[in-house]
Amino acid sequence: MSDEPESDGGVVTHEESPTGPFGLPTVVAGVVPIVMLAVLVGVFLVTTPLAGLQSDGEPLPDVSIDYTTVPEEGTLVVHVTNNGAAPVTIDQLQIDDAYWNYEMSSPGDDRTLQPRESGTIRVPYHWSPGFDHHVTVMTAGGATFGETIVATQQTPGFDFDVVLTLAVVGLFVGVIPVALGMLWFPFLESMSDRWLHAVLAFSAGILAFLAVDAGFEAFELGRAVPSAYMGELLVVLGIVGAMLLLQAAMDWQSGGGEPSGLSLAYAAALGIGLHNLAEGLAIGSAFALGRASLGAFLIVGFMIHNVTEGPVVVAPLARSERPALWHFGAIGLLAGAPAILGGWIGNLFFSPLLGALFLAIGVGALLQVVFDIGGMIRKRGELLSTTNSLGFLVGLVVMYATDFFITL
Amino acid sequence: MTSMGYGAAQSLTAQLEQDLASTIDVAPSVSRRAVLGGLSILGGAALTGVGGAQSGDGGGGGHDHPDHGNFGAVGEYDSDEFDPHEFLTEFNTGDNGDGGDADPNEGVYQENGRTVREFTLTAVDTEIEVLPGVTFPVWTYNGQVPGPTLRVEEGDLVRVNFVNGAEEHAHTIHPHLKNLDPDMDGTPTNGPGVLNPGESFTYEWQAEPMGTHLYHCHTMPLKAHVHRGLYGALIVDPKPERVRENPRDYVNYHGPMTDELVSELVDRARSRNMISHPDYAPEGFTGVNEMVMVMNGFDTNFDGDNEVYAVNTRGFCYGVGSTDGRGNWAAGETKRPIQVDKNELQRVHLVNMIEFDAINSFHTHSQFFDYYDAGTTLLPTRSNIDTVMQCQAQRGVFEMDYSDHDPGLYMFHAHQSEFAELGWMSFFEVV
Ligand SMILES: [Cu+2]
Repeated sequence: MSDEPESDGGVVTHEESPTGPFGLPTVVAGVVPIVMLAVLVGVFLVTTPLAGLQSDGEPLPDVSIDYTTVPEEGTLVVHVTNNGAAPVTIDQLQIDDAYWNYEMSSPGDDRTLQPRESGTIRVPYHWSPGFDHHVTVMTAGGATFGETIVATQQTPGFDFDVVLTLAVVGLFVGVIPVALGMLWFPFLESMSDRWLHAVLAFSAGILAFLAVDAGFEAFELGRAVPSAYMGELLVVLGIVGAMLLLQAAMDWQSGGGEPSGLSLAYAAALGIGLHNLAEGLAIGSAFALGRASLGAFLIVGFMIHNVTEGPVVVAPLARSERPALWHFGAIGLLAGAPAILGGWIGNLFFSPLLGALFLAIGVGALLQVVFDIGGMIRKRGELLSTTNSLGFLVGLVVMYATDFFITL
Repeated sequence: MTSMGYGAAQSLTAQLEQDLASTIDVAPSVSRRAVLGGLSILGGAALTGVGGAQSGDGGGGGHDHPDHGNFGAVGEYDSDEFDPHEFLTEFNTGDNGDGGDADPNEGVYQENGRTVREFTLTAVDTEIEVLPGVTFPVWTYNGQVPGPTLRVEEGDLVRVNFVNGAEEHAHTIHPHLKNLDPDMDGTPTNGPGVLNPGESFTYEWQAEPMGTHLYHCHTMPLKAHVHRGLYGALIVDPKPERVRENPRDYVNYHGPMTDELVSELVDRARSRNMISHPDYAPEGFTGVNEMVMVMNGFDTNFDGDNEVYAVNTRGFCYGVGSTDGRGNWAAGETKRPIQVDKNELQRVHLVNMIEFDAINSFHTHSQFFDYYDAGTTLLPTRSNIDTVMQCQAQRGVFEMDYSDHDPGLYMFHAHQSEFAELGWMSFFEVV
């Protein structure tokens, strides 16, 4: 048909190809569907063809308690969001099945929240340290939305002491273990290919375990996200998005070829760094939410758990030219320091949304690195050799075992 | 016969305790990360000696006494559709009909040598404010929960014109009376059965026996129809002449029936009947303040558990408007104590219509009362108690004397702490 010089009845012809149908420019052809869509949506909104289906029209109220803080003795603070399509008024509040007086601040300066608005409820309440307290808000129609403050503890303010504490904790949890692990580098360099691949497989096992672990955590947090944001889908988007972005970045960096050992090391450090950032977020927010209990020995478990992340970030460098020393510093900091940053962010403004998003990005980065390590081994040897398979398995098992230290 | 030795019993007990302990899982379901986060912080703090800002008075803003806040619902009631303060003392005897919209009184007249008291009850769906700002969709008799209190004399014929003006549901009226005609029982299987929207039926009941009773809808599912508000109090006052003729029918007493006792019982009967007959007031019973209290609750989120508990529907409505928790209080516009004259006898008709909870109770502070179970006796069935328990549809009359009390606030509430803190907490203000 495209060879036909003539048109019959409006069929686009060869000569007319620079213009669209009906002799209009192609630009117009690109715009027409959009305009028509706009008209369609407009007609739909004006005529409301679904009105007949909405028998009782009133949307159900949907309020989420985003988080609670305990700023001082005798005060509980509840952060609420209206996820529903209609304004909602918080008319009453219960603590532990008893109605209680409260003050609420919201954008409208009253007890009513417009859709997607958030408000803060301050309750003068003599809470008991270490006890659970259940908070329930009630809307005008009598619907209730509740949240339990587990083992209530006072939330420390964000002062210098807290900044310093979180930095030190981040140092011990993130930076130092990773740095210790990196000291294995000369040993890795001296290894035969076969054993180095096993170590790389072992690293991949560790990363895969972290990805799965953080993935579950992300979906759990995602369910706590105000429903308007569709938390679980956001987590999927975060994971896939991070994978694709990191893939694109590494392809661009390596010009499309095999990623260099150094770029792989940086990618691994980034993945672990994001994972540690999410861990730091949890630490900071746990601090902010007052969920702290004693047990200094557990930090040791954390260190053992994270020390395995050290060889992971340097193993890709074992067969390439040894990079400048500052690269090692940068890789170590990239992997470990986000724990500190996460602690601060988590303490300042924690939200399930933020937590889920960071975790998801971390999962995506970790998965990407697992695939890249696999690719690296395949380029230089056999991927599924006995030692490699066992190395991967040992990585999983080691992570599972060290997890015991921190789930006690 | 074999019996279990002490040693065996002891070890069995220990085993049972062990089982119990292991079934009670006290571990809170905290996110693992949150816990380890918290733990590692303290670990870090312990290692470095910084932070650890856990002390109670850190960041407290310099309060010597932190405000512990106040229990109770915030704000005042907006709607004046139903006023629990009016309901408290509003008795419908049939004869003061003024033709008002929701007035159930149709008239009192003689028929075949018998007094007839006629009422009209209309089922209507509406909304009622059960806590300030919180409304609940109720099914009602005459637009109010509880329905109008009907007050008749023993032996009367109670004629109730029932109109089902509800939009969707069938309803009935079932009276808790000694009724000789099964067709008038208000159940789906008897007489007219359930009455669909738009239908009406005239129930005729005998007013027997004397006492504080109730009426409610008996359409299935019962839980829904009762919980939604279709109930009310029905008081049958004693006829003094009948008491004089058959005194034994009115007492839980088997001793000799002296003239003195009969005369006392007649006086008590007159006192019970002063609402219908103010001229009955016997010596020593001149000042009696009668109130009706229906204990109820509302499951506002329909999870089978009440969120709001009340006496006469509105949570905390007989509470104080505001208090600083240190004895300084103020009455609110809609939330205020019940003022009682210390020189009057306080007589309360108490009916329990709570749904979803097996029992309810009534407890007075600094006060003891005489209780007449179901109000069917003229001598107390329990004397000198400060708490009485009732299951659903149980009811009674109690009498209190505040004459030797100092003026001030005297609390009364359900002595289920949960019910009290969810609304069923009130005050008498003795003046
Ligand atoms: Cu009914």
